[in-house]
Amino acid sequence: MMTPGVVAISDWSVVSPYGLGKDVFAEGLHGARGTVTQLDVDHWRSAEDRACLVPGFDVREVLGRKGTRTMDRLTGLAVAAIGELLATTGVDDDDARLAATGLVLGTTIGSAQSTMDFIRPSYTADVPYFVDPAQMPNAAMNGVAARSAIWHRLKGPNATVAGGHAAGLHALGYARRLLRSGHATDVVCGGAEEYSTARSWLEHRSRGGERATAVPGEGCAVLMLTAAENAAESAQAELLAVYNSVCLDSDFRQSVRACLLDLLGRAGASPSDVWAASSSDSPGAGTAEKEVVVEVFGSEAAERVAVTELVGDTGCASAGFQIAAILAAAAEDEAAIGKLAVVSSSDRDGTVAGALLRLRGPAC
Amino acid sequence: MSGGLTRPLAASRRVVLTGLGVLSSIGTGIAQYTEGLRVGRSGASPIKAFETTGFDHTNACEVHDFSPAEWVRGQQPESLGRASQFAVAGSRMAIEDSLWSLDALRSRRGLIAIGTTDGEGDHIDQLVRAEIETGPQAHDPAVARGVTPHRMPLAVAREFGLSTVETMTVVTACSAGNYAIGHGFDSIRGGEVEYALCGGADAISRRTFVGFSRMGSIAPDVCRPFDKDRKGILTGEGSGFVMMESLESALARGARIHAEVLGYGLSCDAYHQVAPQQDGVARCMSAALRNSGVSPAEVDFISAHGTGTKANDVVESRAIREVFGTTPPRTVSLKSMLGHTMGAASALGLIGCALAIKHGFIPPTIHHRETDPECEIDCVPNMSVPADVRIAQNNSLAFGGNNAVVLLGRYGDR
Repeated sequence: MMTPGVVAISDWSVVSPYGLGKDVFAEGLHGARGTVTQLDVDHWRSAEDRACLVPGFDVREVLGRKGTRTMDRLTGLAVAAIGELLATTGVDDDDARLAATGLVLGTTIGSAQSTMDFIRPSYTADVPYFVDPAQMPNAAMNGVAARSAIWHRLKGPNATVAGGHAAGLHALGYARRLLRSGHATDVVCGGAEEYSTARSWLEHRSRGGERATAVPGEGCAVLMLTAAENAAESAQAELLAVYNSVCLDSDFRQSVRACLLDLLGRAGASPSDVWAASSSDSPGAGTAEKEVVVEVFGSEAAERVAVTELVGDTGCASAGFQIAAILAAAAEDEAAIGKLAVVSSSDRDGTVAGALLRLRGPAC
Repeated sequence: MSGGLTRPLAASRRVVLTGLGVLSSIGTGIAQYTEGLRVGRSGASPIKAFETTGFDHTNACEVHDFSPAEWVRGQQPESLGRASQFAVAGSRMAIEDSLWSLDALRSRRGLIAIGTTDGEGDHIDQLVRAEIETGPQAHDPAVARGVTPHRMPLAVAREFGLSTVETMTVVTACSAGNYAIGHGFDSIRGGEVEYALCGGADAISRRTFVGFSRMGSIAPDVCRPFDKDRKGILTGEGSGFVMMESLESALARGARIHAEVLGYGLSCDAYHQVAPQQDGVARCMSAALRNSGVSPAEVDFISAHGTGTKANDVVESRAIREVFGTTPPRTVSLKSMLGHTMGAASALGLIGCALAIKHGFIPPTIHHRETDPECEIDCVPNMSVPADVRIAQNNSLAFGGNNAVVLLGRYGDR
């Protein structure tokens, strides 16, 4: 029996550098296949020559030409992934359920590319208001969630929360409270990050010219969260706890440790219950974070599931991909049943976050 | 029946407001803001923040004479963009008003939740200009690092030395303040944090102004919500912050309670990226009333989203009549005074509701000449009125159909 008040992860899906949907993702992870490709530098004009791209992702080819004329890449990734998830869960056939389903997405700053493209003509054209009004929604940080709701007819609570690399866990915490407080019974939750020239340069310049620790990636990972009492027996996991806190002084080791121990404490769990512990490899804080995860959970759990080295640095989608990778691995390993998984994340701006899952639903 | 709501979980603590902080074009601090609302002060003036040559209409509601060093003392003021400085200022006022000591906050689990539309939006524009002149290699690293909006609650945490605090940055455009406050409400009600410092902040944004100008939505002189001749918004800036805690906590430490947060509701139109939809708006208000355990007849006044655009005011009025019937509560727009302060708007609206409850008045919709017959509400034109306000509703309806409505009640009535 599911613990009352706990939120369940019914299912998940992704659009990733392995392609569309969870099956190709699970296969790619299982085979530990890398997805780095050489970029056409004339096309991308970005700060690096390699990235992990969603192969062949053209918005109008994937989603069709109807209603996609003004849809940007970031929105297309999200719309496609949410479509995969709704089809997987069978919710897409149920109008009443769609109308009550919420959507919570994490973001870094929305689409940096669309935002900059929108305002640029204002500085170069003869008149300062010479911008394309059709692009204004793409230049708003909530544009992706809004457009996704229109496309998929999701009328429940709709929110966009910012958190950089940790955004996926901020979104998860937000969605969990929505469900526990009775604002919705189902919530699609995740994050989307596109590869773009604008994002590439923003990241490059933010590092002050230092080398990146990971190849940039892109994609969208989404979970279907359900109030536990409504979840099917086939739910993939229970979400036991989500927490985030602030690193005031750049000592990420100490902050990550405190955050993860707090998380375990909330569920009365101990590190030896944890089958997989995934860290974010986020720029700046990721190295310290990984060291703490290994120290607390041991290298077997910490190395159980690799994500960044396979699909690249997916920014605000990274926590969603960490969860997807854990669930994909757990679905193939009976040793995971009833065990816990930890998802750790951080952002160099000073946030640390964690989530604790019990795998394969109604266990113990 | 919409929303498929389950019953909220067991631990239903009552949630109260014990601190308020305001930075706005009509007043800084609660005393000035209250007076501004009472007298119907206008915050409109010609734009100073950026060059306006080439634009037809050039008024806004800016905060003049803001001195960052007066408010930002725990870090270098210039290390923060203007919106973050506003957030620190508003938070500082709310903390001081709440009479929580910093030591008390530092030793407790809390939440800082901030709503913003643009974050440090000006940083993006700076990068674009540098790129046009030289190329993306010319992006200033500090400016590039400073674009992420989630730095805003982190700046507040840093200012006050708070580490055992969760942060949440909601970026749902014009309704973000209500979302942040609603999240704080859920967090306190569920017993997961002991205090929630929540609100919204935005600085005047050339990019937002350009977008609304291009849409023909900037008013030529002033913002006239619900008026037959309304012609749009004036962009604005500011911050509004509230300190929330459980009733039990407030009583235990003898805190002054400004009002009680009764509940809130969210909905998504899922209709159009810009235009509002009556059904989505009505569903949101109904969800908020249900979550609060309040019936429509009990609401004494509504602080509307009331942007002053043709579309918003008529759709919102109709949605209000759909939910409240043919004699809806008096419905005012504070945007007539404050302009559209984006992420701060609904936070400033909510604080306006709290002050209305406390002081027994309904603030006016100013600049009003003739009510649009299609907006069948009493918008309390031009002059505030004394009123016994027990329950107030605060609306916010953002682009993309991100709707959020919060209800406040006078503490002691229920």
